[in-house]
Amino acid sequence: MAEQVYTVASDSETTGEDKSQPSFPDVAIGIDIGTSKCSVAVWNGHQVELLKNTRNQHGMRSYVMFKDDNLSAGVTGGATRENAHEERDILSGSAIFNMKRLIGRTDTDEVVQASKALPFLVQTLGIGVRPFIAALVNNMWRSTTPEEVLAIFLLELKALVEMHLKHPVRNAVLTIPVAFSRFQQTRIERACAMAGLHVLRLMPEPTAVALLYAQQQQQLMHDNMGSGIEKIALIFNMGAGYCDVAVAATAGGVSQIRALSGCTVGGEDILQNTMRHVLPNFDSLYAGQTMDRIKSMGLVRIATQDAIHKLANQESVEINVDLGNGQQVSKVLDHSEFEQVNRAIFEKCEKIINQCLVDAKLVPEDINDVILVGGCSRIPRIRSLVLGLCKKEVSYKNVDALEAAVSGAALEGAIASGVTDPSGSLDLLTIQATPMNLGIRADGDGFAAIIPRNTTVPARRDMLFTTTHDNQTEALIAVYEGEGERAEDNHLLGYFKIAGIPPAPKGSVEISVCMDIDASNVLRVFAGVVKPQGPAIPPFIEVRMPTLDDGHGWCGQALAKMYGKTLDLAVLPKKLQP
Amino acid sequence: MVGFFGTSAAYVHCHLQLRNGSVHSELIRPNHYRPRSVIRCCSTARGRIRDYYYQVLGVTVHSTPQEIKEAYRKLQKQHHPDIAGYKGHDYTLLLNEAYNVLMRNLSRHVDGKSRAGTGSGYTGDGYSSWNGPVRSQALFVDENKCIGCRECVHHAARTFSMDDVLGSAHVDIQFGDLEQQIQLAVESCPVNCIHWVESQELPVLEFLSRPQPKEGHGIFGGGWERPRNVFAAAKNFAKRLEREEQELEREQSSRSHGGHADCEAETEAQAEARHRAGEELRWKPLVDIWNGFRGWRKGGTDR
Repeated sequence: MAEQVYTVASDSETTGEDKSQPSFPDVAIGIDIGTSKCSVAVWNGHQVELLKNTRNQHGMRSYVMFKDDNLSAGVTGGATRENAHEERDILSGSAIFNMKRLIGRTDTDEVVQASKALPFLVQTLGIGVRPFIAALVNNMWRSTTPEEVLAIFLLELKALVEMHLKHPVRNAVLTIPVAFSRFQQTRIERACAMAGLHVLRLMPEPTAVALLYAQQQQQLMHDNMGSGIEKIALIFNMGAGYCDVAVAATAGGVSQIRALSGCTVGGEDILQNTMRHVLPNFDSLYAGQTMDRIKSMGLVRIATQDAIHKLANQESVEINVDLGNGQQVSKVLDHSEFEQVNRAIFEKCEKIINQCLVDAKLVPEDINDVILVGGCSRIPRIRSLVLGLCKKEVSYKNVDALEAAVSGAALEGAIASGVTDPSGSLDLLTIQATPMNLGIRADGDGFAAIIPRNTTVPARRDMLFTTTHDNQTEALIAVYEGEGERAEDNHLLGYFKIAGIPPAPKGSVEISVCMDIDASNVLRVFAGVVKPQGPAIPPFIEVRMPTLDDGHGWCGQALAKMYGKTLDLAVLPKKLQP
Repeated sequence: MVGFFGTSAAYVHCHLQLRNGSVHSELIRPNHYRPRSVIRCCSTARGRIRDYYYQVLGVTVHSTPQEIKEAYRKLQKQHHPDIAGYKGHDYTLLLNEAYNVLMRNLSRHVDGKSRAGTGSGYTGDGYSSWNGPVRSQALFVDENKCIGCRECVHHAARTFSMDDVLGSAHVDIQFGDLEQQIQLAVESCPVNCIHWVESQELPVLEFLSRPQPKEGHGIFGGGWERPRNVFAAAKNFAKRLEREEQELEREQSSRSHGGHADCEAETEAQAEARHRAGEELRWKPLVDIWNGFRGWRKGGTDR
């Protein structure tokens, strides 16, 4: 197999680079890698500037094309061709896209299962290991990984920015979905490191929009010389892969995230549901990936996508596809049908909005502005659903649905790089909150949340635990993240053992577990024995999470099976019996 | 992690502010904000920590949520690690904690409105402090029953202490000693006046078991009193607080319908509030007597 031609910069190379250009204001760029489209912006000293590629596009299709020996990413790829032709090329099996949905996921994940309907190869074994991903090159499946694909894409993006700014770029602020686990965040960081970018911040997409909103509100305040009234905004962001909601309170340029929630539904699910509706025998028709099947599946995909886009403005739309092997699909799709097919998705959106409002302890009447962003916010049903839940007539108008997140990321990049602006338009701050519960396994299969979700970052909380056996000298601390009641339902982030606990009857030793999240969202876990005290106890342990370097789910099960009983911990009951 | 508990322990004053002085100011203030005219006892640990939090945010104990929010945002803008770098981390942690505690506290106290309307001076703080985390159960000495035998002080000296003026023991630090010692102290009491109570009830019980100034009517009454059965009184008190809160809420909602009053010219709402304050001032002693009397009588009959 041919040697891959792109260069992968190692971490040491990038650290060597930072002394070489001291004269440049090292402003971090803002990148929004969407499931389907990607954009990049930078603070140019006065305002946020969105960068265009050679084809004059702000939003660049996120994909990497594998062709013979050369690779081309969506940033500049296909510059000379027609748009429709390009889309057909992407769906030919030789391009990998939707990497944001695949990155850091195991093959038992339903999102990965749903990705099997994509034209490239996603092979799953269903046992909780990484899926096998491959692109078609010269009629041969060539394997790759989502991180690698993302790195190639970012490398091309970085080259574009450097060409534009005429100086090397090192730091970046990336936006991520709320639903991303900490493990997935490390995958993004790794992809960035491979592309030679240092991640300054990974900020959830709606919080980037909140920052942009805070800036606009502050500018408004300067113009009107009004007082800094607190404004509450609900931000709903639905792109091709993920759906996020945030509630932010904004005053005086500070946007405080009150609650976050997100899930993994998006335009891709809507598209697949609709494709299955248009072609009821979709799954049986495209069970195995042969060349002609991939081709006709691509045709169905393009036609359905077009139809959904048209439905935003039309009452009904006609779909006509010639599948090639004598089969013809012809169907008229109208609004009610479309909404019926995707009802589950709309319900899920409704659920996370309601949850977010409850978490923020607000009622719809408290909300001043509803901000709708992301590609799917164009769907009429989504708009009416969000506005209906928030009891508003119209949404906030001053943001661009597709460019808001990247502009916010660029603002954050400038702030976090220490840039100040004399006119005060960078006098901003986002106070982030944790999107998921963080805790450890305790009381058998239970999950004891130490930092509950929507805690303001930076955060530090501790909790006391005790032993479950007499003379227990070791205890296993397994750190999980998620919303589940049981540890098994959550993501395992890492584990370590506290050894050398002084022998004592069960329940009498106190073990403190402290979690600390700093502003760049790094999680550290401290654990040690606090009672009895004295020189005979082991020193505290500090662990930076996540420590796991592959996302498979075996680890948690194996730990539970081997040590679940013997090294278990119990939450120290706060109640003391008389 | 617990560093600031130590530093905050540095100042211990018991500072009593009698109500008479602040009643006037209640009249002059605009209607949408009345300060807490309460007897604040700063020697309690929770009170002490809370005072420390007020200091961290640089606001007064009388601040409205709005003021606290503004102060918090201003400080965050200086110290947040995004701006100040990693050295801002610890300070921001403290800011977040202070903000959370104060905001939670205020929302419980109906947007900073004082509960002094009950004529009680109840702050929601307990008098005893906590050693370690706040647990769901706490120790409470029924000081009416206590005969001042000092047995408990002997067995658990850090937890219990003797009040020589009142001649009874009280809990100074919850869980100040080892559990065995506490248990021994509880068992050693000859009149069984040491109780385990729910932590939520503790502030009310501790508040009520302290002698309260009694309104005098001519030559009758006056001086200090405390309920004979503190548990029954606590139940009554809790009910009264709840009612009070509901009334306040109702009042607030009706007021918000009236629209916000401007500070400069006296608006209709303000005039109304002034009128109400005057009425309240006139009738409050009577209401207080009524409440106190009822509480006392119920306390008596419940026994």
